[in-house]
Amino acid sequence: MSRYIIRRIFSVIPTLIGVTFVIFMFQRLIPGDPAVAMLGEHATEESVERLREQFGLNRPLFLDREALAEGDINGFFDSQYVRYMKRLLVLDMGESIHRRIPVLETLKIRFPATIELAFFAMFIAIIIGIPIGIISAANRNTPIDSISMVGSLVGVSMPIFWLGLMEIMLFAVMLQWLPAGGRISVGVEIESITNLYLVDSILTANWVGFKDASQHIILPAIALATIPMGIIARMTRSSMLDVLQEDYIRTAKAKGLGHSLVLFRHALKNASLPVVTIVGLQMGTLLAGAVLTETIFSWPGIGRWVYDGILGRDYPIVQGGTLVIAFVFIGVNFFVDIMYAFLDPRIRYN
Amino acid sequence: MTPLLEIKNLKTRFFTSEGVVKAVNNVSYSMESGEILGVVGESGCGKSVHALSIMQLVQDPPGKITNGEVWLDGKDLLTFSEKEMKKIRGSDVAMIFQDPMTSLNPVFTVGFQIVEALRLHNDMTKAEARERAGELLALVGIPGAEQRLDDYPHQFSGGMRQRAMIAMGLSCEPKLLIADEPTTALDVTIQAQIVDLVKKLQDDLGMAIMWITHDLGVIAEMADRINVMYAGAIIESGNVRNIYKKTRHPYTMGLLGSLPRLDEDPGAELLSVPGLPPDLLALPKGCAFAARCGYRTEKCLEEKPPLEEIDGREHAVACWHWEEIAGSK
Amino acid sequence: MAEITPEEITVTDFAVREHRSLWVDAWRRLISSNTARLGMFIVAFFLLSTTFAHFFWEYEPKKDLNYSLKLKPPTLIPNEEVPSVHPFGTDKLGRDIFRRVVHGGWNSLRVGIVAVSISLFFGGLTGLFTGFYENIDTTHIEKLFLFGLTGLVLGSLSAWIAAQPIQAIFFAILGVIAAYFKDFQKGKALRMVVFAIAGALIGAILGAFVSSAVALISLIWGAITGALLSRPLEGKFFSNVMMRLMDIILSFPGYLLAIAIVAFLGPGLEKGMIAIGVVGIPVYARLTRSAVLSVSQKEYILAAQSVGEGHGRIIFRHITPNILSPIIVQTTMGLAGAILSAAALGFLGLGAIPPEPEWGSMLGDSYRYLTSGAWWAVLFPGLAIMFSVLGFNLLGDGLRDALDPKLRT
Repeated sequence: MSRYIIRRIFSVIPTLIGVTFVIFMFQRLIPGDPAVAMLGEHATEESVERLREQFGLNRPLFLDREALAEGDINGFFDSQYVRYMKRLLVLDMGESIHRRIPVLETLKIRFPATIELAFFAMFIAIIIGIPIGIISAANRNTPIDSISMVGSLVGVSMPIFWLGLMEIMLFAVMLQWLPAGGRISVGVEIESITNLYLVDSILTANWVGFKDASQHIILPAIALATIPMGIIARMTRSSMLDVLQEDYIRTAKAKGLGHSLVLFRHALKNASLPVVTIVGLQMGTLLAGAVLTETIFSWPGIGRWVYDGILGRDYPIVQGGTLVIAFVFIGVNFFVDIMYAFLDPRIRYN
Repeated sequence: MTPLLEIKNLKTRFFTSEGVVKAVNNVSYSMESGEILGVVGESGCGKSVHALSIMQLVQDPPGKITNGEVWLDGKDLLTFSEKEMKKIRGSDVAMIFQDPMTSLNPVFTVGFQIVEALRLHNDMTKAEARERAGELLALVGIPGAEQRLDDYPHQFSGGMRQRAMIAMGLSCEPKLLIADEPTTALDVTIQAQIVDLVKKLQDDLGMAIMWITHDLGVIAEMADRINVMYAGAIIESGNVRNIYKKTRHPYTMGLLGSLPRLDEDPGAELLSVPGLPPDLLALPKGCAFAARCGYRTEKCLEEKPPLEEIDGREHAVACWHWEEIAGSK
Repeated sequence: MAEITPEEITVTDFAVREHRSLWVDAWRRLISSNTARLGMFIVAFFLLSTTFAHFFWEYEPKKDLNYSLKLKPPTLIPNEEVPSVHPFGTDKLGRDIFRRVVHGGWNSLRVGIVAVSISLFFGGLTGLFTGFYENIDTTHIEKLFLFGLTGLVLGSLSAWIAAQPIQAIFFAILGVIAAYFKDFQKGKALRMVVFAIAGALIGAILGAFVSSAVALISLIWGAITGALLSRPLEGKFFSNVMMRLMDIILSFPGYLLAIAIVAFLGPGLEKGMIAIGVVGIPVYARLTRSAVLSVSQKEYILAAQSVGEGHGRIIFRHITPNILSPIIVQTTMGLAGAILSAAALGFLGLGAIPPEPEWGSMLGDSYRYLTSGAWWAVLFPGLAIMFSVLGFNLLGDGLRDALDPKLRT
């Protein structure tokens, strides 16, 4: 098992390097000079040049062949990419160009917000999606099955930004049950430990804060959970149906096992393999979907922040935010692979 | 004395979108305790479905037992509730299946799967069940049985998996063991080992065995009696001697004719049964075998022959022309 | 009693059912499913209505403006306040939302279709070739090509440093030579040394014309390139490199990558199509590849190989038809996803350039008015997105059931 994990870690490394490379490329290729963008159209050439120098924007992207032609081998490697990688290794993501706040500082606050939302949404998607899938599979070709399957297909087809708007209209504007946006009400304080408000309020036994934070997270989490919920329900159903056709299910029944033991002990563990994979992949959708959900619900997470960064050509923000999202995604899928091996002995032993 | 198993007019149907598949048609027979019964026929002749019907494991939908009685030890299983049936399965009647590769659950250890069966029907602690499971694996000839309890099925070879399946089947000392083509998926040498193992276990434990196969060669050396099935019905039934030496049904003759024999002229041609079995969606009015039969007459196409006892109790055949066949031999 | 012997057998009445092709069979299953029929109906409805509107119902978005009708609720009977019929109400510029929804459909569906075509074309080809060469050895000619290309790609770095394009050509020739003399010192260290030296010489000699530092770097890089070219690389190596690339694209959450691409290209419908299309490439590449892998070991492929059919012919004549079902299903469902992504981009203001109508951007334009009660401006474009996406999903679902080989008896 530990050998398997080590092997997986090594196979992730090239992907991580590739990701950092692509992120680097993207921010440099976005048209428009950030120095000009920062200083405005009317800045003097001199001040623009000084700023470019300061951010290293005047260096070549990868290799400086002119330096090399002059015999300067150190200068040859002193490029934007090398500087970027060096800084990444010490977790230095620079400052935002416009506001001059260190990216890492903002990440510490915004990242937990997105993670809290995404994990809460995934939690909802799993605890609703999997039972729906199991019930559908167990009642194949009955009205229950058709209704839940068409229902989950509607979920999959949902434009989540629209669903979010409809939720706001119904629950916040018309019924006024839940707040329309934000993470917490003005005046409610939660002592920050992890910056996951739900966790922090429980840790500090701050029940007022917990209630307020829960009320704020429900609507965005439901909007975000809709698509993964539908996908998980459908995947659970089809993989349960596949497994229920297997010979070993017949063996289990021939042993005299009851319906529920066959379903939950013998079928579910086998059927959970593809479901686990899909959950991992959906984490990516959640993190990306956060861009939209965060926009609608004024949720102070990284999705919206990166989006603004892209539009404002704020390289360090784009770099830091995208990197964190991509790394979380890779991390989740790495975890899924480990889970897979844990669930399936055939992978563990080969 | 009542027989161990008595089946009366069993009918199983599959209701598919294409129509009703008549998989088992009016099957009736009985089995005594400790007897070995061979059930022979081509694939798709209903031999497996009839066995699953006894266990009430026919996939529903689309399958359904539409008629009949299955008496086991004087109780009609078809009147049992699912809950009562659960107690019968695995304890009174156990079943082992064709493909040992897919019949064991890949995500549980072999030991767990045997222990599960043991604890389901017996009042045993985990430790007791585990010890018994080790004994069972040793009984079916798996070397180092104790250690192998913690292995997963994929760590076993095909023959060993079938041995483990047999151990699981025997775990609660069933009165009847149904073996559904247990050797078909195995190499010939392994096949022989499994056959020997089952014979030995039967000598020791004395349970009745229903051995389902399409291979008349395997069954000849172990069965007491044989049922030959065709298109969901028994068309010839009797003790081994009668089936092999006094064959009365043209289909059985065809099956035997297609077996190579060492004791005959090696130059003799192997016979084969021409054509294909009938479509179970649309069975002919008369004899189901008529289309492929060399003895066919008008009557065969018009009327279905009943399964009649001939030559005394030990032989029955469903053919209008069995007497001609007896004469022509 | 007539003597009847088995020789007289005439076989009649075989159980032969009506012969049907797989596709006809699949079609019958498709139209027998209620959900698939519903999906087909919805898809046809959207395709026809938007196409007809585009060609037969003139609409000039640039001239459509009427402040006096700003944000009016749905009106079916004209009255004093609203003198015209607006079944879906009007938006912040007093434009008829019904009209814009119908015309916006043309744009939204177009983005979806073009984007999926891009993903399917590039992803499908990548998957086909990587899947094929994962299992099947490259021919000699293909090897010459692959090694030449590898030499060219790796050599171009050295050529760029020394500003001598000719160097890349020399490396390409080195690659071709390595592939041509594939048996020279096979499997021995000497082979690697010879090619590493050759590469180093190409790099160093030409680099020396610029400066000694350039020569040094080119020498090292040339040696690495030469050593790599000396290896007996198979198709598997190249297909792995391609799939790693796909993995990297896949490790970015979809929308974010699409947003980044649009930010790079600038907003606009065409840019959106490209962005969504590029993001989808790895999905199709992976799917096609796994489908190819599952058929390429089948006997009929081995048979085609054994009679000496060319690789191109095997890929397109024998493999492609056999992997179509999963791809058709994915394409249909992918259309749904692409429409959804297009709407998301539009909502963020990265899609159609105003005042061009598009479902997503209509939502993005109007959602600020939701709190003042203008629900109609948000509801109807959203419903259009949802139903069109649902239609493609239902159809794709039905197709999967219809084409699923496990159901074939």
